[in-house]
Amino acid sequence: MSNVNTVVFTIVLVLFLVVTVVGFLAARWRRPPVMAHLNEWGLAGRGFGTFITWFLLGGDLYTAYTFIAVPALVFGSGSIGFFAVSYTIMAYPIAFIFLPRLWSICRVHNWVTPGDFIRGRYGSRGLALAMAFTGILALMPYIALQLVGIQSVLTVMGVNASSTNTYVKDLPLFVAFLVLAIFTYVSGLRAPAAIAFIKDTLIYVFVIVAVFYIPTRLGGWGHIFGASQAHFAAINPATKAPNGTFIPTTKSTGSTQFDFAALALGSAMALFVYPHIITGALASKGRGIIKRNMSLLPVYGVLLGLIALFGYMAVADPVTAANVKKAGNTQLAVPYLFQHMFPSWFTGIAFGGIIIGALVPAAIMAIAAANLFTRNIFKEFFKPDASPALETRMSQWASLVVKFGALVFAVELPHTFSINLQLLGGVWILQIFPMLVVGLYTRWFHRWALLTGWLAGMIYGTLAAYNVKNATTSHWAGSSDIVFGHSIYIGITAIIINTVIAVILTFVLRAARVPEGTDETLPHQYTADPKEAPAPVPAGVGAGLEG
Amino acid sequence: MNTPSATPSTPRGPQDPAITQAKNPVAAHPITSAAIFVLVAASICCTLIVPIYAHITPKIGDWPFFYFYLLAYMPLVAIALWLATLLQRRLATPADGNAVSGSDAEVAR
Repeated sequence: MSNVNTVVFTIVLVLFLVVTVVGFLAARWRRPPVMAHLNEWGLAGRGFGTFITWFLLGGDLYTAYTFIAVPALVFGSGSIGFFAVSYTIMAYPIAFIFLPRLWSICRVHNWVTPGDFIRGRYGSRGLALAMAFTGILALMPYIALQLVGIQSVLTVMGVNASSTNTYVKDLPLFVAFLVLAIFTYVSGLRAPAAIAFIKDTLIYVFVIVAVFYIPTRLGGWGHIFGASQAHFAAINPATKAPNGTFIPTTKSTGSTQFDFAALALGSAMALFVYPHIITGALASKGRGIIKRNMSLLPVYGVLLGLIALFGYMAVADPVTAANVKKAGNTQLAVPYLFQHMFPSWFTGIAFGGIIIGALVPAAIMAIAAANLFTRNIFKEFFKPDASPALETRMSQWASLVVKFGALVFAVELPHTFSINLQLLGGVWILQIFPMLVVGLYTRWFHRWALLTGWLAGMIYGTLAAYNVKNATTSHWAGSSDIVFGHSIYIGITAIIINTVIAVILTFVLRAARVPEGTDETLPHQYTADPKEAPAPVPAGVGAGLEG
Repeated sequence: MNTPSATPSTPRGPQDPAITQAKNPVAAHPITSAAIFVLVAASICCTLIVPIYAHITPKIGDWPFFYFYLLAYMPLVAIALWLATLLQRRLATPADGNAVSGSDAEVAR
């Protein structure tokens, strides 16, 4: 720890301590008489208004991975990284269509997880299990990536000890994560909701300052765009191909317009299906709050667009570009850029913001995965008579297990691998889109047809992603493959296969008169807006359980 | 949308006349509904159809068109969805939807 900048380190440490205190104090915020209910621990009492929901969802949607990985992709490949901007634009209108319905039906039935809805809608434990499995599977590497984000900041700060043992080297990361795990255990969803205020304030301050200040240091936007355009057009001597693309091309493979649209659409459809985003949405107290937030959250998206441009700033700044090249890790682009551009005290604020920005979504993701496990696996298959207190205790422990699983992911796997696991996470989570989102509108699909389609999509998506290779990596090298001569996001191909199989099998199973299961929902419940708070105890799912 | 069940073992819940006979808000307010549809669909399509904006020129100041478009489009989506929320509130009330002029012009920019 010889080359640590004391000012940066002190500011980051102070910010972290503030967040820790807030995380523990959050247990007292809107304190319920009894905390040991999943509606309290897991959904913070389901009483958040527009303002808190905006901060919570904003803190949930934009993760440290966004602040690190999107600019890293832009730095490495150019325009294709901007699919992230396009996808955030599309995500809100798509969620505007279906999210209020999901909120209403879960509110009326007092359901906690998307798996609860699927169980109630299709009367199928198997389908709910598929949902829970997919959700947990997709969230684990996503949490791991929050850690990779923290790691990249810590690396540039120089606090990673120069030991060769990875566990000694990542000690600061472990400490940060342990603190996060404990306050999530104690305060539940209240902790990330409270910390989101600090996170968002810090992020807004450093992004706005950076966007106005850095171009003045680099000779203006004209120079930043000009240097990037020249850089990506230049031929890389190693690969004999251009370094990247400055505008998506009209060719059939590579960084094409078609793949740009496919990546954006697939990611946009996946975003609000992720269990942690649904958890954030279900914590709000009104249907109107969800809708209002869909028009308020794009403000945050403007920020994402500006953050993506940090990638070009890093290209245009020779010192940063050289530092990143020396380290051989494009994910250090933003931390190096800030370190080189800003005085130490401001770098400290920015780094603190990125680290806290990773902790908030990591906490919500762990809670969402824990709730899925408790509600749709533990209670459903192992202990149908679990009391609310036992459910909550189970979720608390599950959140710890999920976090430490993610920690192993982050430390053990090479980073290029875990980044592609996140893209794979998107491929996986998309496979529940038909049963969850289409299920909000129609019961036409047969439950076993949906399950088979899901399985086919999962298998195809996983295998296709495994087989993607490039010059340096033999597997998991990307998230797009070539179908009929065109590059396309694997998630899109997989969901098409999934849906086609589900449609065909629905006809077959209906013709064979296979039982369709009981639907617990009623049409008007999908547009209901109950004003009174739901009972603290989440409802059981399935007629058999309730007697 | 729910097709009647083929088997007697799958009850769809009580057919409450209050629910089934409630006036369909889309049928009651066709113009408002169409305006909402246009706002939401345009928000999605104008970024999904990449050839619209995958150009370097015309430059806006120092900004290539592609980058300017993506950033400028975001606030427009916010406005479009906000208008859609307001219009949806109108669907819930018995007033007829004749005050939608300008809303779809907003998103078509």
